[in-house]
Amino acid sequence: MYHAGVFIKGESLIYNLDPRVKLAFIFFLSIIILWAKSLAVFLIGITLFFVALANSIKLRTIGQAVKPLLFFIGLIFAAHALFSAGEAFVTIPYLRVSFSLSGVQEGFIVTWRFLCLIVAAVLLTMTSAPSQIIAAIKFFLRPLKFLRVPVDDIAVMIMLALRLMPVLLTEKEKIETAQKARGYDSRASGFIIKIKAFLFLTMSILLGVFRRADELALAMEARGYARQERTSMAEMKLTSSDYLMLAVAGIFIIIFIALYYCFS
Amino acid sequence: MIILNNVYYRYEPEGIDALRGVSLEINNGEHLALIGPNGCGKTTLIRHLNALLLPFDGTVDVEGLDTQKPRSQAKIRSLVGMVFQNPDNQIVGMTVEEDIAFGPENLRLPMEDIKKRVAESLERAGISELAGRNIENLSGGEKRLVAIAGVLAMQPRYIALDEPTAFLDPAATTRVLDIIDKLHREGVGIIHITHNMAEAALTQRVVVLNEGRIYLDGTPKQIFGKAEMLQKIGMHLPQVTQLLIKLKEMDLPVRTDIVDMDEALNQIRILAAKI
Repeated sequence: MYHAGVFIKGESLIYNLDPRVKLAFIFFLSIIILWAKSLAVFLIGITLFFVALANSIKLRTIGQAVKPLLFFIGLIFAAHALFSAGEAFVTIPYLRVSFSLSGVQEGFIVTWRFLCLIVAAVLLTMTSAPSQIIAAIKFFLRPLKFLRVPVDDIAVMIMLALRLMPVLLTEKEKIETAQKARGYDSRASGFIIKIKAFLFLTMSILLGVFRRADELALAMEARGYARQERTSMAEMKLTSSDYLMLAVAGIFIIIFIALYYCFS
Repeated sequence: MIILNNVYYRYEPEGIDALRGVSLEINNGEHLALIGPNGCGKTTLIRHLNALLLPFDGTVDVEGLDTQKPRSQAKIRSLVGMVFQNPDNQIVGMTVEEDIAFGPENLRLPMEDIKKRVAESLERAGISELAGRNIENLSGGEKRLVAIAGVLAMQPRYIALDEPTAFLDPAATTRVLDIIDKLHREGVGIIHITHNMAEAALTQRVVVLNEGRIYLDGTPKQIFGKAEMLQKIGMHLPQVTQLLIKLKEMDLPVRTDIVDMDEALNQIRILAAKI
């Protein structure tokens, strides 16, 4: 089964960057995407799309990543379009609602910001193996070790969450198929039957999760896992392209802040 | 050598004993099949071999290390690898290489050594072509081999496998069994739980467990020669043995202590020549 955002082995400048550099860059880029003015966000978005396409990330993949969030994005767009102050340019008489031009513009910008964040996340996860991302997170969390924060355990938890998510989705599909095989039709059933079927599904998944968690804990113990420091296979070595990327990112951030204050 | 001495185990203090005085010696490099009806304690027994479960009474000794001693447990877990029945409950990595690296990472090996062990394990499990693949895109048989490779990365002296061919198609079953056989020939001790008598017949030694006790212990020929005793606890014989018993019942002069297909064919050829 193929999932959007899942790492696919490849070769390009972004693939070869150190995961720490990628993670830090994406983190700052996300702040800028949320903070920047509309023109700047538009330009960042276009650049991100080109970078994604240049790294063999297809538009279909981006579409797959956006699909589950479409309802949420639509809701945000509608909220901005409907409730922002401004002169109404379209009115729906029966519903007594009107859209203002500035509201629609704001809705587009917010939607665009979301799309940019999604593309940035897809770019990170598709060009970095999960172990690399986890190693980078572990690196940035390392100072917290002095505060006795179990950084290694957090890293393992993230790894397990990433691993088990598709397994649980598959389990959910299996239970749904079993329900259908025994005559349950969600479209033809009444509200009470739907609630019952949903509760059954939730309970079955929860029980499955606990059973799996037990077995997985044993399997991890069998492979020598203990709450202690672990080493990692992920290679983290800054190369000339990483330094170049850091320099470009630094210049980009300085220019952005300068322009932001000049124009405001 | 692994020595179990009068091992008792129960899952709950007031519950019934899952193991009742099991004493067993497993030699270095031995290929042993553990068979028995459902709920007889097979899985409980192999989980004692790498200190996942500790005996309620009695001792388990792995290469001179007592599993009860917490200091020995890390070493014991690298000596005895465990392959669980469902690979989805064992695989922790998102990609094949990440999962195989999990054990060596726990051993706190340096990055170069981890990479070396991952490459070696992929090679030994015959799945080098799967390097870099996402776990989610693998078949059941491939996942089983990844689980085996993950255990091999710990460089164990013994591997305990809990029904390694369950739910696999014939091609995947053959692939998994070939790898198990190859590991045995490399000198790794194999403890193999199975419900498939033909698989058990391929090993050097068969141990039959019933109601938490050792019921029978011997070579496949010795064990499958005791058809009545096996049938008494609901166990079947390998199909070739069953066929020869049927022929014998028809008063045909054949031996019934045969578990191997080639040997059975020979018997039938001799019989055909006589007729």
